[in-house]
Amino acid sequence: MGTIRMDRRLFLKSAGATAGAVAATQVGCLKYFKKGRSSAAETKEIPTTCELCPNKCSAIAVVEGGFVKKLNPNPENPKSRDMLCARGNAAIKQVYDPDRLKQPMIRVGARGEGKWKPVSWDEAFDFAAKKLSEVKGNYGPEASLWSSTEGFQEVFFKNLGLAFGSPNLVRHPTLCLASVNLAYSATFGTVPSFDLLNSKFVIMSGANRFESIITPDTMDLIGGVMERKAKLVYLDPRFTVTAAKADEWYPIKPGTDLAFILAMIHVIIAENRHSKDFVAAYTTGFEQLTEHVKQYTPEWAEKETEIPAKDIVRIAREFADAGARALYYAGRRSSWYQNDFQMRRAQAILNAIVGNWDQMGGMVPNAKLPKGEFLFMPWDEPKAPRVDEIKTAFPLAAAGDGVYLKLRENVLSGKPYPVKAWMVYKQDPMNSLPDQAKTLKMIEQMDFIGVIDVQMSDMAWYADVVFPESAYLERTDPVEVMPGIWPAVVYRQQVVKPIHDTKPNLEIVQGLAKRLGLGDYFDYTIEQWVEAEFKDLPIPMAAEHMKKHGVWAASGQPSYGKTLTPDHRFVTKTGKIEIFSERLQEAGYDPLPVYAAPVQPPGDRFRLILGRVGYFTHANQSNNVWLHEFMKENDLWINPKPAERLGIRDGSYVSVSSSVGSVKLKARVTEEIRPDCVFMLHGFGKKSKMQSLVYNVGASDAVILETAWDKVSGNAAFHETFVKVANA
Amino acid sequence: MAMKKKRYALVVDSRKCINCKACVVACKAENNVPIGNFRNRINEERKGEYPKLSINFEPEQCHHCAEPSCVRVCPTGASWQRKDGIVLVNYDECIGCRYCMVACPYDARYFNEEQGVVDKCTLCSHRVDKGNVPACVETCPSKVRVFGDLEDTSSRIHELLATRRYRVKEPQTGNGPQLYYLL
Repeated sequence: MGTIRMDRRLFLKSAGATAGAVAATQVGCLKYFKKGRSSAAETKEIPTTCELCPNKCSAIAVVEGGFVKKLNPNPENPKSRDMLCARGNAAIKQVYDPDRLKQPMIRVGARGEGKWKPVSWDEAFDFAAKKLSEVKGNYGPEASLWSSTEGFQEVFFKNLGLAFGSPNLVRHPTLCLASVNLAYSATFGTVPSFDLLNSKFVIMSGANRFESIITPDTMDLIGGVMERKAKLVYLDPRFTVTAAKADEWYPIKPGTDLAFILAMIHVIIAENRHSKDFVAAYTTGFEQLTEHVKQYTPEWAEKETEIPAKDIVRIAREFADAGARALYYAGRRSSWYQNDFQMRRAQAILNAIVGNWDQMGGMVPNAKLPKGEFLFMPWDEPKAPRVDEIKTAFPLAAAGDGVYLKLRENVLSGKPYPVKAWMVYKQDPMNSLPDQAKTLKMIEQMDFIGVIDVQMSDMAWYADVVFPESAYLERTDPVEVMPGIWPAVVYRQQVVKPIHDTKPNLEIVQGLAKRLGLGDYFDYTIEQWVEAEFKDLPIPMAAEHMKKHGVWAASGQPSYGKTLTPDHRFVTKTGKIEIFSERLQEAGYDPLPVYAAPVQPPGDRFRLILGRVGYFTHANQSNNVWLHEFMKENDLWINPKPAERLGIRDGSYVSVSSSVGSVKLKARVTEEIRPDCVFMLHGFGKKSKMQSLVYNVGASDAVILETAWDKVSGNAAFHETFVKVANA
Repeated sequence: MAMKKKRYALVVDSRKCINCKACVVACKAENNVPIGNFRNRINEERKGEYPKLSINFEPEQCHHCAEPSCVRVCPTGASWQRKDGIVLVNYDECIGCRYCMVACPYDARYFNEEQGVVDKCTLCSHRVDKGNVPACVETCPSKVRVFGDLEDTSSRIHELLATRRYRVKEPQTGNGPQLYYLL
């Protein structure tokens, strides 16, 4: 089935007041048009919570005649305040996208051929349950894989996998920021928030926060840099928007950030600029660090990073002088190198020694709020070990999230046991995992693939059955507590009724569970679930408040320093902030970050670096018509010097090849990148014809990225691929 | 009681703009702007040689000029100006001749093919009349635009223009543009 345009009658009906505007195709119809405009359709304003990225900004939906007309920011949320990014605004088009999945479908051609049969929900459920039961009968429940990405209804999907008896839940963190989470946990026993709203000196390595994803942190940081005179130092091989706005930009040699950080630590300790009281009271292992960083001089780091030693010394001094209000900001970005965990550990240690822990403008442990829990019937824990062998391969990693690339290797090899069914919720492994050919092989060897999504992602395109989920504006979801410096509770409630034959994830899970004999575990409604959660919230009249306001936060201002008491025990082995980590040592890793120079591309190759632009960020939004207007195709950034050498002209097509694949892209010959690397954006070159705006347009980075991962966290390392570029 | 005189305007702090396009999409939704047309935009200027580089962003939309040339050239009176300075198009009167599009020094207008009329930024007059700020002003993560009444001496934009240096675009046209860019 190709692109399905939205049914015109339905559109006119749902468009309500604006229907006239569509009908008025010529001047003679203007009277009709005017009538349409001035008609007084009923207008409602319904607070909800955005779902187009993981940041949970609060929005107020303006609904006219049953049609979502506008999303306004909801200033009651202390974090997202009065912002809504381009994507947040464009969420309306997710509902009214003509390419949307409109009913369940079962594949009738070969996988990926795009031949589908629309079916009833009963047929879709029966089909999937039969296939899943066959796999369970033949290979055991552990032969099923349940992969999903963060979302308020993800819990139901994960629970179905567990109730089915599979230990193999695999989530997005090892394609995202698992290395950050693990490094900060290993050091502080928790992953803190960064108080950008109040910091005075911020350093970022490649986290392109003014361009790649627009979140409340972006808002806090731009306010800091432009209004409160905070200083921003930014390291990136590419001249990004963040580089343009930073006080200082250094086009660092890719993969050498760890050398820069270690040299900063060297300078701060050598010049006795660390926070001595804090280090003495709250940390352990400072002596070992002092010895360890003696080798990492600024002069040495200059050779590695190509950042002048005098600048490293100056930045280290300024950073230490800003002290509690200095931040090496982790940001939101995926992992890039096989040492990513250790690079993050070094950032954490640098932050620790200047004493910014639990300080205004520093790193602050997240405050939480209590929430009620719906008590459902428990199931037996899955008996089999995980197929990714996480316990032995990555003993410190979060077992509940799994390690995606190792998991794919094991599934492909069939060891330690075969995996033959793959259920996917709200995730597109075809584009989010490197080496698409490998993912296709993994798809090929599955007996069954079922996908739950709002749209026909590339993963859905290769599925056997597709379950259309209702868009977030059509759903009521579980209540979410947002831990943070200023914790809040957010609520997503239905804004409009589903316009197609779609269901919220819970109902899809229930339909499958019933047929798998697991119905008792899911015997509740979303309303009952939400009511139970409302109960323990510290909010008077919680249900009424959340439905009316969509968000709740404690009044007043956040408090700092709660953990800065002599008897506070950090959740680490020693109860202190662990600069030197015995736990890492015992697990066979470096207890302090050790630098190893990254392998450099051979003469005729470039390092491929990746990035995002905030209109889409993730691969799942590039087909949104309002966002697509800003970027219709991705291209390959290449510096004019190598471009001239290779005879590549701006705007001409080039082939970009790695050891695993080759893509064709338009060249963008630009001064805004180092000569030793090339860059492309994520989210294009879709295989799904129901992503009609980006189908076969540009290219997907997943095709040419090679498989590599961070040694400690198992996080995919996305900058370890060397490519050849030639005129196509 | 006579209404106090108002003069709406925008002050723009371009340095804070990160080209995120939230304002463009918010406008699109708020005003049903067709695909391919825009009532506001972000101009982009990239300069320099590696590694000495710069990028500047400059949001732009209708300047709601004091002496709007679009209103002057309109043969039917469809382009008109409210007493509070907001320049609008009366769709009943517009014959789609597009003289105004040529006369505008800022390329701020577009022809709506579906409706056969010229359209443009209304400063979200329907929101402003209810006491709200324009959609582009509200949604912006870095709060690049400040909307307000120049006649109100206690307003933020009055304060900004009194205390900061600023420029307007194409002042030589005599249009008297009311989009003030802070320096």
